[in-house]
Amino acid sequence: MAKQYDVLFRLLLIGDSGVGKTCLLCRFTDNEFHSSHISTIGVDFKMKTIEVDGIKVRIQIWDWLSTAGTQRGQERYQTITKQYYRRAQGIFLVYDISSERSYQHIMKWVSDVDEYAPEGVQKILIGNKADEEQKRQVGREQGQQLAKEYGMDFYETSACTNLNIKESFTRLTELVLQAHRKELDGLRTRASNELVLAELEEDESKPEGPVNSSKSCWC
Amino acid sequence: MDQSVAIQETLAEGEYCIIAVQGVLCEGDSRQSRLLGLVRYRLEHGGQEYALFLYMHRRMAITGDDVSLDQIVPVSRDFTLEEVSPDGEVYILGLISGFLCAGSDVTVQLNTAELNLVFQLPFGSHTRMFLQEVARACPGLDPETPNPEFLWLSRYRCTEPEPPPPGWNSALGTWTGCARIGGGGSYLDDLRPNGKGLLVDQNSRGHDKPDNLLTRQTKSRSEMNDMIRCSTITVSDKAHILSMQKFGLRDTIVKSHLMQKEEDYTNIQNFRFFVGTYNVNGQSPKECLRPWLSHSTQAPDVYCVGFQELDLSKEAFFFHDTPKEEEWFKVVSESLHPDAKYAKVKLIRLVGIMLLLYVKQEHAAHVSEVEAETVGTGIMGRMGNKGGVAIRFQFHNTSICVVNSHLAAHTEEYERRNQDYKDICSRMQFCQVDPSLPPLTISKHDVILWLGDLNYRIEELDVEKVKKLIEEKAFQTLHAYDQLKIQVAAKAVFEGFTEGELTFQPTYKYDTGSDEWDTSEKCRAPAWCDRILWKGKNITQLSYQSHMALKTSDHKPVSSEFDIGVRVKDEDLYRKTLEEIVRSLDKMENANIPSVSLSKREFCFQDVKYMQLQVESFTILNGQVPCQFEFINKPDEESYCKPWLNVNPSRGFLLPESSIEIELEVFVNKTMATKLNSGEDKIEDILVLHLDRGKDYFLSVSGNYLPGCFGTPIHTLCYMREPILDLPLETVRELTLMPLCTEDGGSQLEKPMEIPKELWMMVDYLYRNAVQQEDLFQQPGLRLEFEKIRDSLDTGMIDTLDILSINNHSVAEALLLFLESLPEPVICYSAYHNCLECSGNYTASKQVISTLPTFHRNVFYYLMAFLQELLKNSEKNHLDQNILASIFGSLLLRNPAGHQKLEMAEKKKAQEFIHQFLCNSL
Repeated sequence: MAKQYDVLFRLLLIGDSGVGKTCLLCRFTDNEFHSSHISTIGVDFKMKTIEVDGIKVRIQIWDWLSTAGTQRGQERYQTITKQYYRRAQGIFLVYDISSERSYQHIMKWVSDVDEYAPEGVQKILIGNKADEEQKRQVGREQGQQLAKEYGMDFYETSACTNLNIKESFTRLTELVLQAHRKELDGLRTRASNELVLAELEEDESKPEGPVNSSKSCWC
Repeated sequence: MDQSVAIQETLAEGEYCIIAVQGVLCEGDSRQSRLLGLVRYRLEHGGQEYALFLYMHRRMAITGDDVSLDQIVPVSRDFTLEEVSPDGEVYILGLISGFLCAGSDVTVQLNTAELNLVFQLPFGSHTRMFLQEVARACPGLDPETPNPEFLWLSRYRCTEPEPPPPGWNSALGTWTGCARIGGGGSYLDDLRPNGKGLLVDQNSRGHDKPDNLLTRQTKSRSEMNDMIRCSTITVSDKAHILSMQKFGLRDTIVKSHLMQKEEDYTNIQNFRFFVGTYNVNGQSPKECLRPWLSHSTQAPDVYCVGFQELDLSKEAFFFHDTPKEEEWFKVVSESLHPDAKYAKVKLIRLVGIMLLLYVKQEHAAHVSEVEAETVGTGIMGRMGNKGGVAIRFQFHNTSICVVNSHLAAHTEEYERRNQDYKDICSRMQFCQVDPSLPPLTISKHDVILWLGDLNYRIEELDVEKVKKLIEEKAFQTLHAYDQLKIQVAAKAVFEGFTEGELTFQPTYKYDTGSDEWDTSEKCRAPAWCDRILWKGKNITQLSYQSHMALKTSDHKPVSSEFDIGVRVKDEDLYRKTLEEIVRSLDKMENANIPSVSLSKREFCFQDVKYMQLQVESFTILNGQVPCQFEFINKPDEESYCKPWLNVNPSRGFLLPESSIEIELEVFVNKTMATKLNSGEDKIEDILVLHLDRGKDYFLSVSGNYLPGCFGTPIHTLCYMREPILDLPLETVRELTLMPLCTEDGGSQLEKPMEIPKELWMMVDYLYRNAVQQEDLFQQPGLRLEFEKIRDSLDTGMIDTLDILSINNHSVAEALLLFLESLPEPVICYSAYHNCLECSGNYTASKQVISTLPTFHRNVFYYLMAFLQELLKNSEKNHLDQNILASIFGSLLLRNPAGHQKLEMAEKKKAQEFIHQFLCNSL
């Protein structure tokens, strides 16, 4: 019997507060949807196992929110949140199709990704809340245009109606797998930082930060 | 057959053959049969040693006469016996065209430092047991245990005077080279079949005493069983571990869930099974078997073909192989249904009892976990002249066990037959893929097909009567006298099994080569010896018949065809079920990520003042999962929070649904005050509360700091003609950041004061109230009063001190704190070393002081004057020059290197320096 292994990836959900990142995550991992908005102040994650090309992939999806709104608040948290970029192999950039502002901010988020995320990180653009057609402020083609500009795949999703949720998560996972094909092939001989053998996974699943360590050790 | 008995007979007292297995020693192209016996020796002083004895042997070793010692391999520390190609894929199928060698399924490699042997051992649980026993015998790596010495093996040395083989001392029994021997010396004595001289203690043989043999055997069995029962997997259990497949815990859980939900993703699909049994009476195949094996139009999916009395010769009984196996295998393979291609899955034989399993080629991929076993119930209840063989396998998702048995003969022995059946059921045990699971028995299968010469006869009726009834085809009448029917009805045997209607005439006993009933002297009554029974769900018997056309034997072959409903995986449904399981596991896992709720996440500290503790608290309420929490460092920071903040406790453990109160303490001391005054630092921080294996929470801390004279530079205070709290924050910031050397930089500013008014306020108060105060500067003040002093200094309410009649000690302490909190000490850091150097030289010292910036110089002389004033009252206040020099030396002169502990010499010099200004005129 061939040695079975799991691959662990870390994906990150980013975008303005209120675009529905947590809802996307809950829908994808637990197939649940809660419309009430609870601000995430901090960083949360959930696990999900999917199979792509016959490889069992465990994905750890990180979700954070940089305070309810104010620009000042965002900046305050930025020094902290940027650390989470470093660990990600894939990033969802999420806006809300009923919020022009959240769409405009994608540019800022992309520049953050460019600045903090590791090279070769895979990105995908998500226009969420596609079910709220009557409140639409951002056209589908606008989303496609922006995605094209940045060379990203684009999905309009709805956590509420479960539109394109699985598709978009699977797609990003595929992209990450492709990008790490080489390491994956070499997986039998060694486990790199990004690709973690299942046995090691338990130890890896926390953003380790021993208080006494003098180095910055969030990554 | 347990051949350890034969070995045991050759051993000396204290030596015990635990288990033996017959294998093939492979050296290059040569293949030689060897009997491998694991022998234990109990040492006199306790403990035991083991060696592997390799014997040449007559084909089936029964007594000590049948074996002769070839070599001995001590089980030393470097001894290993390992399976080299794990027998995982049992169903590597040989197509009919290519004959696969049956048996010799497990290849093991024996290694010591000097030896490397490869054996092929028969497939099955006996070999596995053997490997486990050997592994258990291997000495552990515990250095405490002495190296085995193997002194007991010395007696197996050739007794004839021959040059000793390398690695052992010529002196009998004194193996000084024991380490080397323990390191794997093999006693390649020149023992050959005739080398009986080496097998000492011939008297102990008991080949003429079968009773003795039997008891010994039974004993060894039970002893062995005990060992097996108490066995645990240890590290040294190499053979065991080798065959173990390691799955992640998660995979194991998924598997067990899949098993539970099998019905959700499998469909019952019928497969045609052909089951045949034929007692061939020791004959070689003489005719084509198609009339038996291919009589129906449809090609069966699976063939289960059993033979009995394949070979009646003594050789077959005593020795393992017989040419008949190959002959019959070949003819069966050639007689299978011509419309399909078949793959042999397994052949298993015990003496004359052989079972063959074939499947259509396209089904081969769906056959797995094939295991085969034998149980002898013949002579002494163990031998293979009677008994059963069985093959178990997984076909798609259904487990199937096929048993071929030859039960005890003779009409009156039906109880014996019942017992044989029970023995086969209880002793037939199949290893599982996962060795941690207990072995499977026949009854643990979804489908059981039992065929064979069960040997049950027709009783009570005389031969002629039976023959007459047969002629009349009155089979129904005969059933009442069929022992099997009677015993099954009495639930004495084959409980739960079904047999089809017997619509064919008895298959025993005919004159060979004819359809005539036995005409021999014995004139046996006809009987339905050859039977097929089944147990399980979804089984439909399509036919049950004999085949009179075959005349090779005194039996006629019997066949039965079945449609058997097998659980076949629906790939789509399977995937769906699997996904559901994975999703539920993910959900469970996510629910097990620790999570807490916080009673408060934003904290605001209003009007934080110098050295005034402010505390806010909040509660962490844990969820359902025990969790460990900790405030962790932010990137590039050395602590989890700013220096003015402290979290108590900053880490801890929470049981489910328990809670803990956390206090946030803000306290500004001299090291932080200046930067807070200048606005370089703010009461602002983010705390990261991290849960082990869980999320991170961000807590926001904010607030404002009220600037004060504490921590404000001397020159800044001089420029502040108004109380610091009356000034706009911006002005405080600017003045605080103003460089020290601006002697007259404040042209646009108001004219500065000579010394800070706050200093004057404190000194003036002390001058007026405390010059005669006993132990001034040596007693602590009151914390509450300090806050009042601080506030009155910062607000300029000079009178307050008098109105409240503040304790002298409190004011004195405040003065010291004020000096201590100065970011630049009264004697500037730059002058520090100069001062130390010229301490003792008053003129030079004064010279250094004169270089200080004006405000600092002013403050210095002001303080010195005040201290001299105090000394005038030393009778009352008990102060002397030394005390004051010591107190003020360390405050006015501070090492620029920071808080390092000063050396005594340095301290002393600082004191000396101040001392000069106390005893000389200023």
